Amino acid sequence: MNGIPVLTIEDVATLDGVLGDFLKKAEADMTVVIDRGGNVISQFGDHNVMDVTIIAALAAGSFAATRELARRIGEVEFNALYHQGNGSHMFMNSVDDDTIMITVFGRRTTVGLVRFYSTAAAHNVANLLKTLQRNGHGFEFTAADISAGPIFADPTS
Amino acid sequence: MSIINYASREIQFKIVYYGPALCGKTTNLSYIHQRINPVNRGDLVSLATAADRTLFFDFLPLNAVVIKGFVTKFQLYTVPGQVIYNATRQLVLRSSDGICFVADSQWEKMEENVESFKNLEENLAKQNVCIDDIPCVLQYNKRDLPNVAPVTYMEYVLNNRKKRLQSFEVISSTGQNVFAGLNAVSQILLHKFSKQSEASQTVAQPMTIPVTSPAPQNQGISA
Repeated sequence: MNGIPVLTIEDVATLDGVLGDFLKKAEADMTVVIDRGGNVISQFGDHNVMDVTIIAALAAGSFAATRELARRIGEVEFNALYHQGNGSHMFMNSVDDDTIMITVFGRRTTVGLVRFYSTAAAHNVANLLKTLQRNGHGFEFTAADISAGPIFADPTS
Repeated sequence: MSIINYASREIQFKIVYYGPALCGKTTNLSYIHQRINPVNRGDLVSLATAADRTLFFDFLPLNAVVIKGFVTKFQLYTVPGQVIYNATRQLVLRSSDGICFVADSQWEKMEENVESFKNLEENLAKQNVCIDDIPCVLQYNKRDLPNVAPVTYMEYVLNNRKKRLQSFEVISSTGQNVFAGLNAVSQILLHKFSKQSEASQTVAQPMTIPVTSPAPQNQGISA
């Protein structure tokens, strides 16, 4: 069986603590930890106004797409990316080989402050995720737990 | 890498629609997006060129409650089919949990189908994944066109391996069997991750679901 990594309630609380502390210090609006395939691992902050799932998918794509640019100048990849808007901005930095942290912020702060505090936050998140992998407490469910019948229904058929 | 979040009681899976250029991958996602209850889906995000050709990927998030007590999030992606975008296909394939390979049934597209399937195998191999180990179904699309190859021929060309994949005759423009393929790959991947699957998982039944039949529920899945 292929175990799926699990974030327990305690893990989520620890992650929220790290991300909450980061947001407070950096005065940013929202932060999301995603894997490089675009899956959301954790999120913290004011994410009600945006679809975090879509942001994660696009950010993972954006981060991956710049890898080739980095190679052209002799880098393996860019460790961080910054997208500047008129009022809202996005900063993305690498957490580890599989994970990225996205931060959305506005006029209350600066990219320098976000970048400064995100380094320590990414380091703490990476350590926590390493613990998860080491513990390896994979999620398990049985076939009986899966709903019978079509998962998605076409209303016209 | 799928991950379970016990705090929000969510589990995420990524399904990639793969296939040659203009085979109907985006049409599949558009149909699903149109038909599914808006409560259970997000926006369809399309990164396309001015000529509506997929440049990076299309993305559609779906929610369902299929595992007791958990919201299951399925993230559907398409890859750009054009040969030159292989690097992009590799990026989109990363961390995928299931594949729906869309083949164009027209005779003149057969070589492109074969090349694309071979490309899928190569790109999975680069991520140390074997096509036989990942939940995968085949769609034979555009069955409504006049110049289509017989299903038996397509099976011979694309599904002629030791472990045969479940296949569907599809007309993505009208939606016939679009949901059947999605449900099949979703069920296969859920059963792959389930606890009992280790002992009982066997080769999928080598049958093709015709366009006229109702959507299958658990065809080719051993639970």
